[in-house]
Amino acid sequence: MTAFLIRRLGFALITLFAVLTLVFVLVRIVPGDPAQVILGDQASREAIEALRERLGLNLPLHQQYAVFLWGALKGDWGVSMISGRPVIQEVLNVLPWTIELTLLSLVMGIAVGVPLGVAAAVRRNRFTDYAARIGSLLGLSFPPFVSALLLLLAFAIGLRWFPVISGGRGSFDAWYQSITLPAINLGIISAAYITRVTRSAMLEVLQEDYVRTARAKGVPWVVVVWRHALRNALIPVITIIGLYLGILIGNSVLTEIVFSRPGLGKLIIGALNQRDYPMLQGMMVIYTLVVVVVNLATDIAYGIADPRVKFQ
Amino acid sequence: MKIKLFGALVASSLLLASPVMAQKKSLVIGMGSADAGKLDPHLASTTPDKGLLNYVFNGLVRIKPGEASPDFIEPDLAESWTSNANGTEWTFKIRAGVQCHHNYGPFTAEDAAFSLKRAATKTTSSYSGDFASVSNVEAVDPTTLKITLKNPVAGFLGYVANINGGNMVCKKAAEEMGENFGKKPIGTGPFEFAEYQPQQYVKLVANKKYFRGAPQLEDITFRYIPADSSRDLAFQSGELDMIYGKQDQSWVDRTSKLPGVKVKAMEPGELSSLYLNIQSKPLDDIRVRQAIAHAIDRKSIVQFKGAGSSREAVSVVPSGYLGTDEKAPLYEFDLAKSKKLLADAGYPNGVTIKTIHTTLTGMQTLIEAVQAQLKKAGITLDIELVEHATYHSQIRKGLSQVVHYQAARFPVADVYLTQFFDSASIVGTPTAVTNFTNCNVADAEIRAARIETDPAKQKALWKTAQEKLVKEVCAVPVYEQLQLWAWKDNLDLGYELHGSLNLSPAITEKTRFTK
Repeated sequence: MTAFLIRRLGFALITLFAVLTLVFVLVRIVPGDPAQVILGDQASREAIEALRERLGLNLPLHQQYAVFLWGALKGDWGVSMISGRPVIQEVLNVLPWTIELTLLSLVMGIAVGVPLGVAAAVRRNRFTDYAARIGSLLGLSFPPFVSALLLLLAFAIGLRWFPVISGGRGSFDAWYQSITLPAINLGIISAAYITRVTRSAMLEVLQEDYVRTARAKGVPWVVVVWRHALRNALIPVITIIGLYLGILIGNSVLTEIVFSRPGLGKLIIGALNQRDYPMLQGMMVIYTLVVVVVNLATDIAYGIADPRVKFQ
Repeated sequence: MKIKLFGALVASSLLLASPVMAQKKSLVIGMGSADAGKLDPHLASTTPDKGLLNYVFNGLVRIKPGEASPDFIEPDLAESWTSNANGTEWTFKIRAGVQCHHNYGPFTAEDAAFSLKRAATKTTSSYSGDFASVSNVEAVDPTTLKITLKNPVAGFLGYVANINGGNMVCKKAAEEMGENFGKKPIGTGPFEFAEYQPQQYVKLVANKKYFRGAPQLEDITFRYIPADSSRDLAFQSGELDMIYGKQDQSWVDRTSKLPGVKVKAMEPGELSSLYLNIQSKPLDDIRVRQAIAHAIDRKSIVQFKGAGSSREAVSVVPSGYLGTDEKAPLYEFDLAKSKKLLADAGYPNGVTIKTIHTTLTGMQTLIEAVQAQLKKAGITLDIELVEHATYHSQIRKGLSQVVHYQAARFPVADVYLTQFFDSASIVGTPTAVTNFTNCNVADAEIRAARIETDPAKQKALWKTAQEKLVKEVCAVPVYEQLQLWAWKDNLDLGYELHGSLNLSPAITEKTRFTK
């Protein structure tokens, strides 16, 4: 197990380095000039050149890269070119918002998706199954910004249960008011994914010999389904949850924007539009870290769910 | 007598006891951007940042709240001013007793001089270019400021007004904070900076010591809500009192129908023009450029964009600027002429021209309408869509044969003419700004007008410059887009709103809620 972890961490570092380099090059290949964005469209070429010099953008690329890597090694991610605030601070300001939203919607997805998927598999080709399949298809095909607007129209404008601007903080009430709709919006998508995966995994497992044996022995059907079958069907579900965490972060961009919530998504969109190089680089490291960590956690979860999995 | 007195007592006690309606004192504004940028008035270059900072800072002079033209310049931090005959020496009498926010002490001529020098310095200001003609700024005594110019500057007072580099920062605070000034901007305006929440809002509170009197509002929350539809919904649900509109007529129609809401299309209009690179083929032939000009139907463009929020262009300079030729000889819409000109130029089967264009919605719908109109004359416009920052970078490299640009500038013809048509501003050159056309036909007039001290002669020079540019078809002006805002009708701005130079309505000490 320890050797496994060390090896994985080694891979993670290589991945991180590769992503850093790729991002560094990519953001500079894309046309568009941060100095231009900062100074606005009336700025003269002279003023822009002066600012480029001050930002270190006129240095040869390899020098910029060296400065960047050295900073990154020291844990210095630089300062946002647009706001002038340190990248780390900007990210940490909004990171809790994104983590809370992502985790909560994932919990909702599991709470709804797993039981629904099991029920659909057990009642295959009956009403429950059709309802679950149609429901999950709808959940998957709805763009998150459309479902977000529908939720706002129904619960914020129609029923007035929640505010349109989901930025409350400070008390439990404010927190609950601000997280519910965005979490439901993202939860719909994750529930849809998890339902479908659970259903198909369960269908496969339910046809296994040991399920028939268990039933033949007289084990109650409920126990067969929840203990024998589900436990064995969990591996693909865990995989999809792990993969999905990455997708959720992507979808959270749209959710954050429509619900006016702070978050990483809004930060990265802003940084992209304004060609804020240090910010983009810092954000990419965060995203890579998240994906690497989630993958590692997924691998470990395999072992817990299925003792047959060996860490080698 | 006793009874009367008693009656009066009862009446007055009744008055005192009657429940005072809780007056709303907090204004919440919804702005269409994701977050605050640099909240330093000399560095801020975006509409949201400029609008917010306008509530925090004063200039030496100001444009009367609600107006967007230098005709309405009035005293601000300077009570009065004089200049010598040719306008190269200006003396401002600074108002006494003005206090800087957060107890940074009195505002004096010393602060004003510091502020102007800061605004003229490349490393601390995006507007240093505006002050290129300033040779000296000096605080003669605490209430007297003297500015010496190398040469007369058209509309000089505009540069010391409450916009961009003219915003007056407090010396002690700016020196103390250095690069961090934008994290806690200190000025003298009716509202002072209180709090910033990333991606959420900036909160300003009333400056009780404001020299025009304590503001009626207690605070302003300036919220960042980038999604148009979310901003609309939050306005509808009452969470926002004032919003930046989606710049589109359908938004006006929809929002006007809401109860208790005022919608305003205000000045300035952003002029949308097609800039033609006269050195590229086939645009080097003036007949092809004329054919393009004749093919554009400005009237139907305005119908398409919405008559309530747009109007036809009048010249290569937006209407209403000091020096705009409001009746410039623009080419009339005439498809037959257009086709004939093309044929004469040797293109009887039409031509193809190219543009690199932004994906910004409002501008994209316009260029698509233009494309359809040109098509009817046999002119094919190839549009290469790129994202906004890419567009800005590529057009400045001269990569786009036709550049569609939409902009408002300080409302003096010189600014627009210089940036878009002076040959010194041609993109790619060291002094480049936004001359995408390579035109230089009006250089002499533009430069002479800049230093002309006789207003009548100056106007005549600007008029000639515009006529030449129109005739040469350096640019094809299309329409002007007004600024769209909406607010609850229980909000009394305290002045009549016609426009605002920084594109956001002013909030002054008199702004209040009526209920």
